[in-house]
Amino acid sequence: MNSALLDEFGRGDAREREESWRYSKAALRALSQQDFVAANAQAVLPASLRERYTWPHTQGRRLVFVNGAFSPEHSDISQVAANVALRHEADNKLVLSISADAENSLLHLVYTNVATDSPSRWQSVSDIHVHNGRAVLIEQHLGDVGADVLGALTSQIRVDAQADLQMTTLSDLPESVSLVRRAQVSVDHAATYRTTHAILGSRLQRFDLGVELIGTQARFDSRGVFSLRGRAHADTHLDIRHVARDTACDIVWRGVADQRARGVFHGAITVAAGADGVDAKLSNKNLLLSAQAEIDTQPVLEIYADEVKAAHGATVGQLDERALFYLRSRGIPLADAKRLLLTAFCDAVFDQLPLAALREHISALLAPRMPEGASA
Amino acid sequence: MLKIENLHVRVAGKEILKGLSLEANAGEVHAIMGPNGAGKSTLGHVLAGREGYEVTQGTVEYNGRNLLELEPEERAAEGVFLAFQYPVEIPGVNNTYFLRAALNAQRKYRGEGELDSMQFLKRVREKLAVLHLKDELLHRAVNEGFSGGEKKRNEIFQMAVLEPKLAILDETDSGLDIDAMKLVADGVNAMRDPARAFLVITHYQRLLDYIVPDVVHVLADGRIVESGDATLAHKLEEHGYAWIAERKLAGAA
Repeated sequence: MNSALLDEFGRGDAREREESWRYSKAALRALSQQDFVAANAQAVLPASLRERYTWPHTQGRRLVFVNGAFSPEHSDISQVAANVALRHEADNKLVLSISADAENSLLHLVYTNVATDSPSRWQSVSDIHVHNGRAVLIEQHLGDVGADVLGALTSQIRVDAQADLQMTTLSDLPESVSLVRRAQVSVDHAATYRTTHAILGSRLQRFDLGVELIGTQARFDSRGVFSLRGRAHADTHLDIRHVARDTACDIVWRGVADQRARGVFHGAITVAAGADGVDAKLSNKNLLLSAQAEIDTQPVLEIYADEVKAAHGATVGQLDERALFYLRSRGIPLADAKRLLLTAFCDAVFDQLPLAALREHISALLAPRMPEGASA
Repeated sequence: MLKIENLHVRVAGKEILKGLSLEANAGEVHAIMGPNGAGKSTLGHVLAGREGYEVTQGTVEYNGRNLLELEPEERAAEGVFLAFQYPVEIPGVNNTYFLRAALNAQRKYRGEGELDSMQFLKRVREKLAVLHLKDELLHRAVNEGFSGGEKKRNEIFQMAVLEPKLAILDETDSGLDIDAMKLVADGVNAMRDPARAFLVITHYQRLLDYIVPDVVHVLADGRIVESGDATLAHKLEEHGYAWIAERKLAGAA
């Protein structure tokens, strides 16, 4: 595929890029054929979007970006603790430096996609460094319906020895918005990086998360759900590298696709030579609700060390007909029965999310987006 | 209440019920006995509305309505309840939430007010006591991690909460030890009512020592081949199902 966007968003050599984008090639090609102007950083943020990020528990700890650019007007950082240093540099670059001994180092990063008259695109970069203590980040992506918007967010994240970063990303986009997120994370000795992701909607969402466990006893936990309908297309790639010994990862992702939606999940775990004592787990379960929907899942395990505990599994199935009949036989109407089963399927992933308010928010976000399953 | 006439049902291209007729009135307990593969479970599923069961001939009338044209949830709201032979585990769906959603969906269908959680819990606690079920089961996911006995008792507990008019028990005794079976029988007997009918499907006569039926039917090869009072169950136990086959042959000759 000859595509400027593939050169821009792909990693590695031509063959690697081709392979890693194989399920999203057509979607990317269609984007490549479109003309995008630079997105307007001064675009007026509609009230309907502002409402969706104005959560009481992140008041005073909120950074808002409009089409990739930091917006002082909409941000409120009055409560951000002194141990969080943040700086904005040229070219939409955010630099965050957290040394959080306090428990209150919560930050809410909001990336808004605001459509203008013609298709537009933006780029943004974040550099996040957690030196010590415990940090909590919420990254939210939203957009309104209108002309196409293509956003690209590149993040570099470092979690130093003993530190703990808990990151939640919520991406709920209309089918006019495409978003390419690439995050490269390094986790040092006895540090923990925990992520929770909810991916909804969009024309094309590509999410590349590369995590390197570079210090002994470093740990990575990831929970995620994608729930897609219409013509939404979401492609998630996790690439976990156990470089140091006695490191661990635990990955549980689920996906639901209805109507003509397309979901892709690629989870790769590599254990480097000498990285003994690794404990790696990956599970990915998916539900297809329509004959036109498609889900491709690909777990990959490469082990070069001798003493390793590793388990992985991936499934694509349909709603359990027996469970559906059981619920209906007790009087629960078909549509409600489907929603009940889908909600249970997705919520299971978020059980361990420590912030109750956030857990409820994600549940509330997912519930109305649960496919009707009418086409099942 | 229930009138089944000449019912023919095909499952996966194979005819399982071959002209089954049966009539049950409110207040009666009918036992349906028969050898494996006779079509006992098919009857339960077809009455509850499970997909994949093709009715090729015959009618099922329930309280004057054509039962077969109703969706499973409509049948439930109209008062039909099937206690499953193999209750389904549903991870992630809380037992209490499920049961309350079911009860309120039925009430809504019937134009009755929904129960709030206080009213619902009061009802639930009364019924739990009868079946000696632990409170803790309510907080678990539906049937998840339940023992075989707990699953069957949970079926009867659901029946007690939902208070159906026609309860079909599909081999509720299978896999139960004698104590669990007595609990199940107590639960059923407590619900016997002039306004309610039961179809008790069973392979063995044992359960019928505790739930004494008004009528016993023998289902063999897709049809009711013999009906009688409670003593018929004992004759079957004594002579085995082969006895019925012989009598059928004798009758045919």
